[in-house]
Amino acid sequence: MLNFDWLQGVSPAAAKGVFLVLFVVIGLLVLMIPKAYIYQGLKHPRWYHNLKLWAWGVLLFIFVTYCAF
Amino acid sequence: MLSGIDYFVVVAYLVGIMLLGLYFRKFVHSSQDFFLAGKALPFWAIGMSIVVSDIGAMDFVGVSGQAYRYGIAVGNFDWLGSVPAMLLAAFIFVPYFWKAGIYTIPEYLGRRYNDYVRTVASLTWIAFFAFDLGVMFWATAVLLNALLGWPIWLSIILTALVVGLYTFFGGLAAVVMTDVVQMVIMFVGGATVVFLGLYHVGGWSGLVEKVSAMGPEYDNHFHLILPADTDTPFPWTGILFGLTFVMANAYMIGNQKIVQRCLAAKNEWHAKASMVWGAFLKMFIPVLVMVPGLIAIAMHPDLDDGDQAMPMLIRTLLPPGLGGLLFAAFLAGLMSSIDSMLNSTATLWTKDIYEKFIRPGASDRHYLMVGRCATVALLVLGVITSPVSKYFEGIYVAVQTFLSMFQGPVFSILLLGIFWRRITQWGGLAGLVGGIAIAASLHIFKDRLFTIQDPFLYVSWWSFVAGFVIAVIVSMATRPHSAEQLRGLVYGLPQPDGA
Repeated sequence: MLNFDWLQGVSPAAAKGVFLVLFVVIGLLVLMIPKAYIYQGLKHPRWYHNLKLWAWGVLLFIFVTYCAF
Repeated sequence: MLSGIDYFVVVAYLVGIMLLGLYFRKFVHSSQDFFLAGKALPFWAIGMSIVVSDIGAMDFVGVSGQAYRYGIAVGNFDWLGSVPAMLLAAFIFVPYFWKAGIYTIPEYLGRRYNDYVRTVASLTWIAFFAFDLGVMFWATAVLLNALLGWPIWLSIILTALVVGLYTFFGGLAAVVMTDVVQMVIMFVGGATVVFLGLYHVGGWSGLVEKVSAMGPEYDNHFHLILPADTDTPFPWTGILFGLTFVMANAYMIGNQKIVQRCLAAKNEWHAKASMVWGAFLKMFIPVLVMVPGLIAIAMHPDLDDGDQAMPMLIRTLLPPGLGGLLFAAFLAGLMSSIDSMLNSTATLWTKDIYEKFIRPGASDRHYLMVGRCATVALLVLGVITSPVSKYFEGIYVAVQTFLSMFQGPVFSILLLGIFWRRITQWGGLAGLVGGIAIAASLHIFKDRLFTIQDPFLYVSWWSFVAGFVIAVIVSMATRPHSAEQLRGLVYGLPQPDGA
């Protein structure tokens, strides 16, 4: 149990699917964050201050990397 | 091994960094200026500082060595081991820490739980950082001696002098802004090795072709996700449970050295943005530290020790002048880690121990002086204790193992603390202490309990689970905190506006 023997039958391809789903789930959670919360602290927020866009950019980068390798 | 132009590059780097760091002396007038840069830092500097504080000269050699042995799976530590955790930190934890006006993570734990939890956490971090300073000094000095013929004690004394001066006078502002320059130097130095190496082996496709043709033992060298029963230290189960869920979060959320920068942000948006920007920059780290290991397989396939991969590439690829640049990059890696540890440890000592127990209610000027004295004391201790590593083989790994035992339980009470109102002060303390005890036991009996050679990922996960469960059980048996006590400390219970 400590060595996760019960998951030994899961193929690396299936495990990769788990990681890719994880990135998608994180992306969806980021989408759900209210805009007002994202811009808190700024007097004159612009579109490029939207941290959801930044987070999605990073997640896209890592999604593609894990797809490719 | 260094030519005249190499020495010029190194000296110019050392002098330039010291002058830049000393420039920020004029902004330090209070303890907040010293420990939190007056809460005036922009996101781009914080993000760059986070990235470079995490990477040292040892990573250039160690990670490329792992890539030589096992392939790109080691890249999980900077990809999966950073992005999810930094996004969680950016959108949940850092805003609460920043708004609470804390100086240290143990300070948050103290407000959320009690002073016992705060003190245990703080003393553990202080002990770890203080010990790690000496280990890092020695390990890097030995590396520079092996790679470039630089005398060991000269490395240590020069680094201590330069870092000590600007950290003493300039505080966190000097640390972060010198880190910005050091990141650029590290990236340029690392990229030079990668580009020259890829040129020699025929580009990325040439590299893949050459390594793949070397035999079945290299079949997994270009796979990030390895089987659960792999012989390598990177089974996917360990990567998911130990690294992604526990160690990465514990590091990016619970490590004072990392989070203190975010607490120094000029406003809440900059605090959040710094982590997301840092996550973006982290994407490039594996390219700089891991790809050289793969290139070395193609150029030097018969190395006995994978850790020789980077040194061999340096000797083979770099002409005079560029050797100095890489030497400066290695020094930058060391100095960015040392300066961060010094300032963070001084902050932990001054705010969590000295101000709390030894001399509460003193003037702010007094605490500024204590912070500066702590910086000097830690630096001297690091230099004096550095040769201890020579007599204890594997001490570098031992220090990292100690950290892996602590991080799981700390993250369990941080996670519960911010998301679950019902967790109590005694639940937090029991979870922390019990989790560390479980981690130590798992490590002591690892040969009997684990099939994998180095189960630090599994120890992190199971000690996290143990800390979590113990904290929940004890909390349910003890009196809960009132909502008023939890305002501003728990998700969904913000401070009233204006508070």
